[in-house]
Amino acid sequence: MMSEQDKSQLTEEAVANKPTAKKATVKKAATRRKTVAKKAVVKKPARKKSVARRVDKPASVLIVGAGFAGLGMAIRLKQAGIEDFVILERANQVGGTWRDNTYPGAACDIPSNLYSYSFAPNPGWSRSFSGSDEILGYIHHLVSAFGLSRHIRFNQNVSALTFDEQAGLWLAAVEGGRTVQARAAVMAQGPLSNAAFPDIDGLDTFQGKKIHSARWDHDYDFSGQRVAVIGTGASAVQIVPELAGRVKSLKVFQRTPAWVIPRPDFKTPRWNQRLFAKVPASQKAVRKALFWTHETMALAVIWNSPLTRLAERLALGHLRNQVKDDWMRRQLTPDFRIGCKRVLVSNDYYPALQRDNAQLITWPIARLAPNGIRTSDGVEHQCDCIVFATGFDVPKAGTPFPIRGLQGRELGEEWATGAQAYKSINVAGYPNLFFTFGPNSGPGHNSALVYMESQLDYAVRAIGRILGDNLKMLDVKEDVQARYNRHIQKRLAKTNWNSGCKSWYLTEDGFNATMYPGFASQYQRQMADVNWADYQQIPASG
Amino acid sequence: MASIDLDKMLAKIKSSQWALADIDWDAPGAEKITAEQWPKLKAFMADLMWIEHVGARGFAAMAKKAPNDTLKQIYTYFHAEEQRHANAEMALMKRWGMLDGDRLPKPNKNLRLVIEWLDRYSDDMPLEVLGSVIPMLEIALDGALCTFLLETVDDPVCHQAFARINDDESRHLGVGFHVLEMQGHGDTYIKVLKAIGTLMDPRLILGIASYVPLLNRMRDNIIDMGLGEERLYAAMKKFERIGGRTADGRRNPWYQIISRHGRLVVNRDHRLYHAPVDAMVRLTNRIPDRVMPSRVPTWVKGITYKPVV
Ligand SMILES: Cc1cc2nc3c(=O)[nH]c(=O)nc-3n(C[C@H](O)[C@H](O)[C@H](O)COP(=O)(O)OP(=O)(O)OC[C@H]3O[C@@H](n4cnc5c(N)ncnc54)[C@H](O)[C@@H]3O)c2cc1C
Ligand SMILES: [Fe+2]
Ligand SMILES: [Fe+2]
Repeated sequence: MMSEQDKSQLTEEAVANKPTAKKATVKKAATRRKTVAKKAVVKKPARKKSVARRVDKPASVLIVGAGFAGLGMAIRLKQAGIEDFVILERANQVGGTWRDNTYPGAACDIPSNLYSYSFAPNPGWSRSFSGSDEILGYIHHLVSAFGLSRHIRFNQNVSALTFDEQAGLWLAAVEGGRTVQARAAVMAQGPLSNAAFPDIDGLDTFQGKKIHSARWDHDYDFSGQRVAVIGTGASAVQIVPELAGRVKSLKVFQRTPAWVIPRPDFKTPRWNQRLFAKVPASQKAVRKALFWTHETMALAVIWNSPLTRLAERLALGHLRNQVKDDWMRRQLTPDFRIGCKRVLVSNDYYPALQRDNAQLITWPIARLAPNGIRTSDGVEHQCDCIVFATGFDVPKAGTPFPIRGLQGRELGEEWATGAQAYKSINVAGYPNLFFTFGPNSGPGHNSALVYMESQLDYAVRAIGRILGDNLKMLDVKEDVQARYNRHIQKRLAKTNWNSGCKSWYLTEDGFNATMYPGFASQYQRQMADVNWADYQQIPASG
Repeated sequence: MASIDLDKMLAKIKSSQWALADIDWDAPGAEKITAEQWPKLKAFMADLMWIEHVGARGFAAMAKKAPNDTLKQIYTYFHAEEQRHANAEMALMKRWGMLDGDRLPKPNKNLRLVIEWLDRYSDDMPLEVLGSVIPMLEIALDGALCTFLLETVDDPVCHQAFARINDDESRHLGVGFHVLEMQGHGDTYIKVLKAIGTLMDPRLILGIASYVPLLNRMRDNIIDMGLGEERLYAAMKKFERIGGRTADGRRNPWYQIISRHGRLVVNRDHRLYHAPVDAMVRLTNRIPDRVMPSRVPTWVKGITYKPVV
């Protein structure tokens, strides 16, 4: 597997996307997206035929979603010699998060060298924190470099997964009537793929323009407009500085202030890119260093430790440096422990809020009216456009679509009070089904893709077993799963996420089914081996 | 007193939001303010508006200290609602031609000190104190002031606005007393607070609530001004005597400070009413402008009479 790395090494020219100006980048990205979309439409008929042929013969593996997870899964399967798989993607192009989040300023907040796959290093990252279009470029190149195109079927919205116990097959019902079958199924539909509008009265009465951060409208001209941004999370801190300079006025509506730490963003020098390209080991070393730097952050972010205080002091210092007015500082000071929610990184968010044309509004939103936003202080803030940086609908209890396992069990019902799985990846009663970003796999301090790689390799091993030993079912034992979860919940109780703040990590009842309570390296160790004794293995008869 | 379900209360609050735009501020009826009423009403409204605003700041402090998330959200709404009351009252002043252009009416010196004090200390004050002072203030506003206003002013728009304001206030009070119960205060304590609230001028309540730190700052001011400290200490001793007399038996030390003092104050014949409170007011008035807080905290600037901005 390792030897694949060099082959898969992407060239600098292929991936690097060096924007001269940010505005231009956004436009370029928009145009590129349009062309891609068109291409996909043109290709569709050809694909349809191949789909029709495949329905009869079950595939080895079906993957739901063509984001980082689904594509990474595909690459690892291929590298393990499993070619007979199909990816079902509801959109008309790959990319998931990075296809959808194209708002101005969209970028990762984990350094690109760590927020990328170690089995597909990209020496050409133009910045330490790459923008969304550059990341999407990387994803597109994963597809071409590893020949994934022929496996992907677009416009396939999976509406249910059902296990056929008799045949030992997963049946994916696709909207529109088609069913795709496979011996194993991988859920790679993304934890943050369903944009959510907030539950605000009068949402539909607003007559102006509404834009969700994850469904950006690149044709809308912001210049001269009075714009409101609702939400002050990870997306908002990236959008606000970009918009502030373009609009007539910008009002930012905040419910809860988040912790914001400075962002060590810089352009990657040419010599550095060249070095990475010529000496891959040097990039590996950088990745390793980044990995361990982020690991130490776990101490601050996950548990309440002296480092937590230090991190809070760093963030407060950042705030004090950047915001002079003490009432505004009070408005921006979080009243929960750092790490309890996602820590934000930005150097230009606070300054943007203090521009003459910008205003931070902390009154609760009472309702939307035809011409603007009414806050509880009785005032209507009129605006031409509302940007919803309000995040995603995350199913913490339940599943994004019905999943039916053995004896008619339905996973959504079982998860109604909070999701749980074994090592985040398998669920008892749902054999041969693998979750990426499953319950309690969320990273608080490190790259999601680091966790992802562990999951992919675990799944490849288990799928290899199913196919190699011709198993009808590989099903984790109930008691093993229960024991694992007791342990994990005990550990979670001691973390900052469970320290009292409300966040999307927790269910309404405060159950944490989202985060992994430990270091990434701990998680890697947990996923390094598949303990076959934890599973029931039922051979395919005949 | 029956406890309330805070979650239901929060839902009720969310569904009872109103906006300045819901009221037609140009509707007929403004002419019903008599020429004789006008100057008194102007001063009254200015004070009222500032007291609402100061109450708002109190709720902001309470939101930071709320023991649970529901209560925190409730206080966050109350903070905004008090601001809404201030905004609505300013809109009435605008309607009645009482505003100097678009400008906020100037707070009197006592209020300026309270604002300065709130800005500096309220976030550090225990929930216990604010939780006792605010309901008193609300009762005072609700009972005395607003009743007075509605009895003397015939303008229907004023009645419209205060119908909504009072509706909000009833929820503030409900939560206020619920929280006092949560903190383990018995019936007597709550009754006393209510009694004080009913009988006292809100400006006085604010004055009392802030007199401890206020005196400290006045001592500094007085020394700054080169006056003898003795006179101030004499006044302070009286305060101490008041506070110290009710030492035992009560669970909450703030009870002693606030309710005991309050009880004295409500007795208009009591010699001690004149001594400490008048002393305080006199002292405040003596403070020359140049040592009054010059920097106005930003939260003060948030008020507006405009329904849409
Ligand atoms: C703005 C933003 C910034 C982020 N920054 C970082 C960061 O800096 N570092 C980090 O570690 N993580 C970050 N994340 C988290 C990020 O979501 C993950 O890192 C990663 O991109 C998720 O990949 P995925 O493939 O699991 O999901 P996605 O990228 O969401 O892909 C899922 C795919 O499945 C498809 N799909 C969904 N449902 C169905 C269905 N029913 N049928 C068929 N197809 C379906 C979707 O269309 C999508 O293409 C960020 C997320 C956002 C939104
Ligand atoms: Fe009020
Ligand atoms: Fe009130």
